[in-house]
Amino acid sequence: MVVETRPGTSVLDRFREVNAAFPRTAEIMEWKKAGKKVIGWLCTYVPEEVIHAAGVLPIRITGYSREMELDDGNAYLYINNCSFTRSCFQLGIRGEYDFLDGVVGGSTCDGVRRLFDLWRIYLKPGFWHVLTVPRKTTERAHALYYDQCRRFKEHFGEYLGFEITDEALKHSIEVMNEQRSLMRKLYELRKLDRPPISGAETMEVLNASFRMTKERFNRWLGEYLDELAGSDRVYTPRARLMVVGSVLTNADFLRSIEELGALVVTDELCTSTRYWSDPVVVDSEKSPLEAIARRYLDNFPCARMYPSDGRFNRIIQLARDFRVDGVVSEIIRYCVPYAHDLPLLIDRLKENGFPVLALDVEYNTSGSGQIRTRVQAFLEMLEAKRR
Amino acid sequence: MTVTEKKSRIESLARSARMVLRMVQGRPQTPRSDIIYYRMLADYYTRILNAPAQGRPVVAHTVFFPTEILYAMDIVPMHTEGTTWFSALFLGNTGDMLAAGAEQGLGPEVCSAHRALAGGFANGTLSRPDAVLWSNLVCDNTAKSGELLEKINRCPGYFLDHPFQRSADEERYLVAELADLIRFLEERTGRKLNMDRLSETVTRIDREIRLLREIADLRKAVPSPFGPMSFLKLVGVDYMFTGQPEAIEYLEAVRDELAQMVGQGRGCLPAERFRLMLLFIPPLYLHGAIEKILAQFGAVMVTEPYFTAWPEVSLDPSYPLESVARKCYANPPMRMYQPLDDSIIRFFTESGREYRIDGAVNFAHVACRHTCATVKLFKDEFNRIDVPLLNLDCDILDPTSTTEDDMRARFEQFFEMLEDR
Repeated sequence: MVVETRPGTSVLDRFREVNAAFPRTAEIMEWKKAGKKVIGWLCTYVPEEVIHAAGVLPIRITGYSREMELDDGNAYLYINNCSFTRSCFQLGIRGEYDFLDGVVGGSTCDGVRRLFDLWRIYLKPGFWHVLTVPRKTTERAHALYYDQCRRFKEHFGEYLGFEITDEALKHSIEVMNEQRSLMRKLYELRKLDRPPISGAETMEVLNASFRMTKERFNRWLGEYLDELAGSDRVYTPRARLMVVGSVLTNADFLRSIEELGALVVTDELCTSTRYWSDPVVVDSEKSPLEAIARRYLDNFPCARMYPSDGRFNRIIQLARDFRVDGVVSEIIRYCVPYAHDLPLLIDRLKENGFPVLALDVEYNTSGSGQIRTRVQAFLEMLEAKRR
Repeated sequence: MTVTEKKSRIESLARSARMVLRMVQGRPQTPRSDIIYYRMLADYYTRILNAPAQGRPVVAHTVFFPTEILYAMDIVPMHTEGTTWFSALFLGNTGDMLAAGAEQGLGPEVCSAHRALAGGFANGTLSRPDAVLWSNLVCDNTAKSGELLEKINRCPGYFLDHPFQRSADEERYLVAELADLIRFLEERTGRKLNMDRLSETVTRIDREIRLLREIADLRKAVPSPFGPMSFLKLVGVDYMFTGQPEAIEYLEAVRDELAQMVGQGRGCLPAERFRLMLLFIPPLYLHGAIEKILAQFGAVMVTEPYFTAWPEVSLDPSYPLESVARKCYANPPMRMYQPLDDSIIRFFTESGREYRIDGAVNFAHVACRHTCATVKLFKDEFNRIDVPLLNLDCDILDPTSTTEDDMRARFEQFFEMLEDR
């Protein structure tokens, strides 16, 4: 059973409970018990609104939010696919995602594409769909991506046995936009000189957003914002950092950085800013699905998109807005799109006065001694630069 | 384009190809196709060297890029990965290029072919092109390599966005991307595309694909008439001379030579013992050694579904751009790029039966996530038809990843196991 309130505890603890039980969260199990469907999605270019509008619970497929052995993932996906995909598959092949009624992916990167293929072949989901996601954001690319969203909506409707209506899509846009708006409010607090929330705590909130109903998440996040507003809890950081790079869900990684006195005040990750940052803009000219498709392709770009300047410009803007002292790039081994971008991104950040620490990590690493040593040296360099 | 850089790789490649050409011409038994092949390679790199003096632009492009458009515009193409592969094949050493690539900030995640490219352009051993073209066919490495190359070479570039799946909308998207590519090239080079010339090229591509399919059919013969690793020549011609008259000349020569051997019941080896399917290309710096090992054990590669197995495709010269798009979709490597559906898996196992293979070999290039992620799958699928799969960890360019002795030991074990069956 999902516990809505517990006297004397923070709302953050509720988010933590959701994450602790993942993938079989009480939320998801309760949903399934009611005879309703759950669909797993693999990448932020999958339009969640379409799943939500069908009365189906969309959840994000991730690996465990901690380090784990990946024997099966290594065997099936080979060691040269990133540990994120291997970690997801590890959970899948061990039956941890048995409750899923289907899986939806996008043509985002080689790793995720192959994860989708093997998921379809070995785990045999009841419903599966993959969207072609253009790498450009031209009008032509928008037309193609809209067509892909339309095909997905129709295919999903056929599977469910009913049409997903515009009215339902409009409602889902409202719900998802509310989530985005609440996340923005949470991030605004991180712009303060002394923010009331750490990077690790923010990640715990974000992780929960993938693993529960949107409506309940929004309610809890609203309560959490109220709680933070009424709290005198603040962080006084030694340095304000931004984390950029590959998919990350292990809050302990950020915690290990923050334990050294830094505070992660913003980020550019597909599990955080790139997930929530841009709302769906509804207007009378476009159908709800057109508005959704436009938002997803125009959203804060992943490193897969061309030209890379779109991503770099937004990173620099965020770094300025959040007044960061330095940027930590974390790239999962074998995460090719981000590895290719790194030399260009480092140049751009340095040109704009932001020092960069580039870390090679495994998905959901907690922050080894070596990482802590390198972060410590980076913080000392930032302090020396300030003096 | 500048060609005066220190120790130009292009110059070395042209010289090496000419040297091999002279060598094979001196051997009385050299098949005609080999002479054509090495002449083509020598011409290819000489053309790049001579282009500036002739006022012709040189455009670097990634693998599987539709070079027929460049040829139709009289632009000199420079196959980027092909150049790093031939560097490993002919010159042996790519260490300086890989080291220079690392200095550019490219980590080991990035495919060595692309690290070497960035390094080669950065250290001046590869001639600077007038433009860079790249596409997402076939992987994230090809999709992401162009922008750094633009920066290193201080030249403009065009990214061709190849859709992941095939539908009428996606084909139209690709045709429009090709039209934009042409506009880009016309603006940057001042050359206009001659559509009639492209139509003629399409006619030749149609012929080329038919010839490749005929050759593939002839390789079904037992014993196989084609050399243990000769498929790499087919791949080189297919990738670098798309729709060119010399490609037709080469393929016709190969087809005729194979047809004659098949007619006479002759194989390429004195005694064929093992027929193999290849999933991914070998480390190129060990190409000669691997060929020797295979020949020694009577083993021969007979089919390569990701590289040489063209499907039937009908091209219409009166619709040249649409035909180029159709050819892009039919390209064998699309099998590794598009969703891995059941028809692709079936194609591999059915090919295994048709070619009567005894085993399959995958060179698990550390940067190829497409093929490596399917090793277990294909192992499982081939098990169903009682075909073992040998998986060899390697890097296609980096000689520190594996040695000839390692390869020999693994192949020996594999062949012993096949022999015992």
